[in-house]
Amino acid sequence: MSDVIAFFLDPANWQGTSGIPNRLLEHLVISGAGILAATLIALPIGLYVGHTGRGAGIAINLANIGRAIPSYAMMVIPLPFTLLLAPVIGYPPDFGLKFLPIFLAMTFLAIPPLLVSTYAGLRSVDRELIEAGRGMGLRERQILARIEIPLASSIIVGGFRTATLQVIATATIGAILAGGGLGRFIFDGLSQGQSGYPSIYAGAILVSGLAIVVDLILSVVQQRLTPRALRKPRVSRPPRGARSTDGSPVPEGSTAR
Amino acid sequence: MRTPRVLAFATTLVVLLGACSSGGGSSPSAASSTGASRAPASAEASAPASQAAKAPIRIGSDDFYESKLMAEIYGQVLEANGYTVERKLGLGTREQRIPIMNAGQVDLVPEYVGSGLGFYDTTKISGDGAKNAAALQTALTAKQQTVLGISPGQDSNAFVVRKDTADTLHLTKMSDLAAVQTQLTWGLPSNCDANPLCSGALKLYGITYPPAKRSALGAGGVPMATALQGKAIDLAELCSTQPAIVQFGFVQLTDDKATQPAENIAPIVRDDYLAKVDKASFQALLDAASAKMTTEELTKLGVEIAVNNKDVVEVAKTWLAAQGLVK
Repeated sequence: MSDVIAFFLDPANWQGTSGIPNRLLEHLVISGAGILAATLIALPIGLYVGHTGRGAGIAINLANIGRAIPSYAMMVIPLPFTLLLAPVIGYPPDFGLKFLPIFLAMTFLAIPPLLVSTYAGLRSVDRELIEAGRGMGLRERQILARIEIPLASSIIVGGFRTATLQVIATATIGAILAGGGLGRFIFDGLSQGQSGYPSIYAGAILVSGLAIVVDLILSVVQQRLTPRALRKPRVSRPPRGARSTDGSPVPEGSTAR
Repeated sequence: MRTPRVLAFATTLVVLLGACSSGGGSSPSAASSTGASRAPASAEASAPASQAAKAPIRIGSDDFYESKLMAEIYGQVLEANGYTVERKLGLGTREQRIPIMNAGQVDLVPEYVGSGLGFYDTTKISGDGAKNAAALQTALTAKQQTVLGISPGQDSNAFVVRKDTADTLHLTKMSDLAAVQTQLTWGLPSNCDANPLCSGALKLYGITYPPAKRSALGAGGVPMATALQGKAIDLAELCSTQPAIVQFGFVQLTDDKATQPAENIAPIVRDDYLAKVDKASFQALLDAASAKMTTEELTKLGVEIAVNNKDVVEVAKTWLAAQGLVK
C-alpha cells in the first residue's frame, strides 16, 4: 500500500505523456467521444421507437447483440479495417491503431443502455397524458418534446449514467491496442511482474475514482432533470419547490404540477 | 481476396501464450518441491523382455496449438511403430503442466528448450539450442526425466518487418537496424524497458532505447501483427513460427548476435517410462521426427491449423506422410 502512495507522490508520474494528468485526459477524450457518438445514434432511434412503438423488438435485440460481444473483440475485429482505411481516407495509421478501434468498441458498448433506457423511459409515460395532449391539439412532435421527453428524462439520464460508467471502466483495455488512457498504468504494470503492482493499483484507483466522480456529477444532473412532481420525496426535508397545498411531499407518480 | 484473409486472421484471435520466450517471467521456485520423490516403481520389473518393449505411453502437451501439434506428431510416430498412445493434450501452461509431469501422470511432453530451461534457471539460457537442451537435461536429471533430440526449427522471439521496409532499407539482420532506427516506428511490448531480452538486446545492436516512435503492443499478439501489416508500426516483435509471418510475407531479421534464447523443441520423457522400453529404438523414432521439423515447416503447419482451421490430428498425419516418417 505504501508503494501505491509512493507512486502517487512521485513527481515523475505527474509529468509528460505518461503522467497521470495526460493519461486522465486521454481517458476522458476516448470515453467522451464514444459516449457522444453512441448518444447521437441511440437517442434518435430510442425516441422514435419509444414514441411510435414501431420496430422496438428489432432495435432492442440488435442493441443487445452489442452487449454480448466482448469489448476486446470489438476492438480487435475492426482493427485490420481501420488500418486498411488509413491511406484511403488519409488519417495517420497511428489513429487507426490507437483511437478508431477503441472508439468504435466504446460506441457499441454505450449504445444498448442508452437505447433501452430511452425506449423504456418513453414507454413508461402514462398513456392518458399523451391522449390528453392529443386532445388539446398537440402535434406528435410536440407531444414528444413537451410531454414524453420531460417525463422520461430521468430514466434516459439513468441509462446515460450506466453507459458512461461502463465506458469509463472498459476504456481501460484500449491499452491493448497501444492506446493511451488510464489503462496504460494497469497494462504496463501487469507486464512488469511483481514490481508493477503499484502501477496496477494506482491505475485501478484512478479509473474507479474517475468513474465515481463522473457518476456523482451525472446523478446531480439526473436529479435536476427530473420533473419536480416525480422526484422522490426526501425523508428529512420536503422538496423545496413542491407546490402541494398542505405542504406535504407530493406522492411519486402524481401528475399534479 | 485480401480482406477475407485479414478478417479471418483477426477473428482467429490466436495468442501464442507461452510459445516464445518472455524472459524472466517464470518462477523457478515453484518447480523444485513436487514430484521428484516418486521413485520409478517399475525399475526392477522392467527387464525388457522384447514383447513388453512397447509399453503404452501417455503423451501430454501445453494448451496451444503448436504444443498439441508436436505432441500429436510424436504420438502418431509411436503409434505407427506399434506403441499404444494415450493423449492428454492441452494440460495448460508450463507452470501447470510441469507438476502434472513430475507427479507421473504423463510420460512425455514436447518442450521448448529455452523457456523450459528458464523455468528452472534463467541465468543459463543462451542463443544456442544444444546448450539450452544440455542445461535443461542437467536440471531435469534430478526429476528423473530425459530430454531427447532437439528439432532444428524453433519458436523464438523474432523481430520482423514488412517486405517493403526490408527492401527499401535493405534490412536482413538485426545489426542493420541501428543505421535506420529513427525512420522506424517500433512495436514493442510494454515490459520492454525492464526485459533484458528486449531493451537489453536492442541496446546490444546499437539502438538508442527507448526509440522515439514506439507503440506498446503485446509481443506475438494478433494486434501487434495486424498493426505491422496495417503500417501503424514498421517493426514488430513476434514469434518466429507465428502464422502471420507467412500470411503477410513479413521478413524476419536474423538475430546475428544471438541475443534471443534458442527455442528448439524436444520431447521430455520420464525415466521410469524409458526403463520400460528399448530406449535406443524409442529415441530414434522421435529424433527422426524432430530432425525434420524446421522453423519454416512449423510455421506452415501453424498456418494450416490456426488460419485454415485444419484439425491438428490431420495436419500431423499429412506432414508425417509427406516427410516419409510414417508410411
